[in-house]
Amino acid sequence: MSGFPAIEAEGLGRDYGTTRALAALDLHISPGSIVGLLGPNGAGKTTAMLLLATLLTPTRGTARIFGQDVIRQRRAVRRRLGLVFQDSTVDGLLTTTENLLFAARLMGLGATAAHQSVDRALEWSGLGDRADTPARELSGGWRRILDLVRALLHQPDLLILDEPTVGLDPEHRDRIWSLLESRCRSQGTTLLFSTHYLTEAETADRVVLLAQGNVVACDAPSALQDGIGLEVAEIEGPGAERLVDALSGLGATRTRVRTERGYRVGLSGARDAVVELAGTAPGIERFTIRRPTLEDVYFAKTQDPAEPSSFPTSCSA
Amino acid sequence: MSAFNAIHGIVTRDLIRTTRQTSRLLGGVARPFMWLLLVGTGYNAIARVHGDLPYQVFVFPGIVVMAALFGSMLTAVSTVYDREFGMLRLMLASPVGPPAVLAGRSLAAVFVGMLQGGIVLIFAPLITPVSLEQMGAAAGALALCCMSSSVMGLVIAARLRSVENFAGVINVVLFPLLFVSGALYPTQTMPWLLRSLAQVNPVTYQVDLMRQAFSQPAEFSIEIDCLVIVVSALLLFGLACLLFDPEQRFIGRRVAQ
Repeated sequence: MSGFPAIEAEGLGRDYGTTRALAALDLHISPGSIVGLLGPNGAGKTTAMLLLATLLTPTRGTARIFGQDVIRQRRAVRRRLGLVFQDSTVDGLLTTTENLLFAARLMGLGATAAHQSVDRALEWSGLGDRADTPARELSGGWRRILDLVRALLHQPDLLILDEPTVGLDPEHRDRIWSLLESRCRSQGTTLLFSTHYLTEAETADRVVLLAQGNVVACDAPSALQDGIGLEVAEIEGPGAERLVDALSGLGATRTRVRTERGYRVGLSGARDAVVELAGTAPGIERFTIRRPTLEDVYFAKTQDPAEPSSFPTSCSA
Repeated sequence: MSAFNAIHGIVTRDLIRTTRQTSRLLGGVARPFMWLLLVGTGYNAIARVHGDLPYQVFVFPGIVVMAALFGSMLTAVSTVYDREFGMLRLMLASPVGPPAVLAGRSLAAVFVGMLQGGIVLIFAPLITPVSLEQMGAAAGALALCCMSSSVMGLVIAARLRSVENFAGVINVVLFPLLFVSGALYPTQTMPWLLRSLAQVNPVTYQVDLMRQAFSQPAEFSIEIDCLVIVVSALLLFGLACLLFDPEQRFIGRRVAQ
């Protein structure tokens, strides 16, 4: 491919008027990596993706895709990109094949190459049976798969997906991720995606967690989960706060997150002492201990993004 | 070469879309005939223009331009639909960039305008005696009219945010452009203010050129008509490229499309 990183961003940021959409993103992503962008709505995920996709000009910082600058070498960058936006953009009046041919020609493929590429794509994607179906008659899931296949037609080196599975049933989500992983892993395509389904990010090489325009954590999913604590205790009931304070006093907690009914606490150790204390504490209706998940990281880091991060905030993969 | 492929893809898509929206296509063809038959027949009984020219004969070149204007402009304005549903962003994110994307949209609009205007033109012998040379000249004029109208449509589309605004565009932009162009009545007899507006209206020169193709009295020379149509189209195309910059770095609000 080339000796350059797939994505190289330094202090990349963007303001809309007085609103700071993205403060400063530092990324260094090797070719072939799979990177997930997580964060609440308005955290800056889409802005980061649009900046890297050359569709927005940064207010500050720089970014290069495979060594090419996103401002000065837009066209060269775009040739290596495949994009899937948050909402499906297939043309309902065109058939599946016509949508794909349109996209292939748009990316600059000649007639023969476009037809060959579309024929192959129909085969590997499972869209072959729907080749002549008008896109408006496809289900939401197949339309999304069409979006995805369209982005892969010209064999991009970097695929940017903005919430590719939002609103889909588990079967289509699974189909999309199977297609993505097989195409990306086999062809060495770098994948940058955002999602609100946190389990989808668990297989990523790196997860970048954004909140209010700032990177609040960036690491491998397992490292982020370990950073929360060895285990997570879910504590509910009127006595939950008192117990959490007591656990903190023991030095047994690493993170604490307020939930609707109580607390989620990342435990740093001393499991037996914690269980014993919880067993005798008054006003505890529910006490469970489990392995940390990305959801725990998400809540711990996005609930109070102003709190100094114990996780790395510049990202290499 | 990649720009050619992208333009080809855009034109093909737009033409497929047009042929599958038959009601829109038929409506585009019916509109000029309604004017020609309903309004033209009525005025024919009471009006003579430039001496003894029957009104229907006088208005026919204007009606051909009207068909081209509406066909080309509304096809170009359908870019708004693409913006609303995200397709425009996909196109502008392609390596070819806004000029090739807009050239493709414009070319597709030219084809649609020529189709609609051409259908009206075929009926010319029923309205006025016309030679083969005059039909050829009218077809050439029609191509220029469509080119000019399509880029006007793109400029308008650059500032429309939703398809609901189509009706507003027709009422506020298309009809004034048509009425102050000499298509339906001579500009020479207009009050000075309207006549001044007509002289800066590119459609005036489209109508004038079409009249020359039918050997009717014209206000400007063929060279002036062609020059104004081509130069205004090029200027408007340049303006459209700036307006459609994905980030609108040059003109307007700095928002992502």
